[in-house]
Amino acid sequence: MWLRHRGEIMSAITENRKALLISPELCIGCRGCQTACKNWNQLPGQKTKNYGTMQNPPDLTPSAFNIIRYNEVPSDTNAVRWLFVSRRCMHCGDAGCMKICPAPGAIYRTKDGAVAYDKDKCIGCKLCVAGCPFDVPRYDAQGKISKCHLCFDRIADGLSPACAKTCPTGAIRFGDRDALIDTAKKAGYAKVYGEADLTGLGTLYAFKDAPKIYGMNENPAIPESIIFWNTVLKPLAVIGLGGVVAGALLHYVTIGPHKDADEEVKKHE
Amino acid sequence: MVRKASVEEIINHWILAGSCILLIITGYGFLFKIEQIYALFGSNITMKIVHNWAGVVFTVSLFATLFNYLHEALAYDANDWAWIKMGGGYLSKKHTVAPPMGKFNTGQKFYYLVILLAGIAISASGFSIWLVQDNRSLTLASHLTHNLAFVLFVMAVPVHAYLGTLANPGTLRIMIYGTVPLEFAKKKYPKWMKEIGKM
Repeated sequence: MWLRHRGEIMSAITENRKALLISPELCIGCRGCQTACKNWNQLPGQKTKNYGTMQNPPDLTPSAFNIIRYNEVPSDTNAVRWLFVSRRCMHCGDAGCMKICPAPGAIYRTKDGAVAYDKDKCIGCKLCVAGCPFDVPRYDAQGKISKCHLCFDRIADGLSPACAKTCPTGAIRFGDRDALIDTAKKAGYAKVYGEADLTGLGTLYAFKDAPKIYGMNENPAIPESIIFWNTVLKPLAVIGLGGVVAGALLHYVTIGPHKDADEEVKKHE
Repeated sequence: MVRKASVEEIINHWILAGSCILLIITGYGFLFKIEQIYALFGSNITMKIVHNWAGVVFTVSLFATLFNYLHEALAYDANDWAWIKMGGGYLSKKHTVAPPMGKFNTGQKFYYLVILLAGIAISASGFSIWLVQDNRSLTLASHLTHNLAFVLFVMAVPVHAYLGTLANPGTLRIMIYGTVPLEFAKKKYPKWMKEIGKM
């Protein structure tokens, strides 16, 4: 029964898996991707405050599916090294949100490998927030999941996601996942962030430096408790119930119900 | 006839049992994303509402049991030890004479404490998942606790139901009428009968 949701974990060989390749060094921080995303997905703008940074909004919100993080890191050659890192749902091959989600059809895998969702089926439990290794899912005013879905509607029509389509420098590229990894490797990136993590991420990063300089987790993983729950507790909930019911039946036919002393006397008479 | 359970006790036990079974059914629905179970309730969101509010009913009902069983469930003597050693007499085909028990036997007292503790855990973690937001480690800990307690419930409740019906003919009427024949009570609860002066 618990094996029924095979779609949750993507097999290593998935034909047609699409992905985004983000190259921070190519990004000029224009935020065209943020605007294009809002445009296509009809997301409202929000009032934010100036916190002394160009980064705006400060983090992902229910109506900001992607943002550019403006990371300032120390540098020997310049006064400051400014890294623009586009952030959104990573479309994990083994997605923590899908694993923990209790509502059938609420978070699902598209045939292109995107992690999409159906707000009508979302029950608003917010467990996906706890299950995500990247702190991506947000909740809208109705308490429903809200995040990047890799523009699955555009992809289905042979178009690029809005962010990739609008990016003027090629910092966000969209295409077949395998091809994008090849491109990055040929361009001299020894490691592509997300190539193998969580059976491969659908948002890949070509980093020149250690991922943590770009504000990314070195070893992203689904929380241990969810892994334990998924591999041990879920089967146990079925085996345990089946076991005690079978045990009770077995007890009834072998040992039998409690007998009174009188009944036993009657039988001997 | 001897009154074993008061009317309030009977009603509360049915509420506890009913909400518990509803919670277990919807719980399996959540656990394995079983569309057929969701369909029973109309839509995904309806089942969540049913589960959450059945949880409220269960919690209140569990709290009410404190006044019925907690005092008894914490009292033990040498007879309880003897009862444990003979497995309550359930492990032998032959008629066995169990040590004299009070209103509840050792197994029932243990069962109550397990359900009380697991019930507190599953209620508290359930309310945490439902109501607390923006606290990832608390949500994860609650999710784990909720599921650990769930496994305990789905294993303990069927055993309790079996022992209260098929395994002990004549006991189900306590859940319905609250009374048992005097002779039956004298055999089952001699210590209690002596306490209330019927033996």
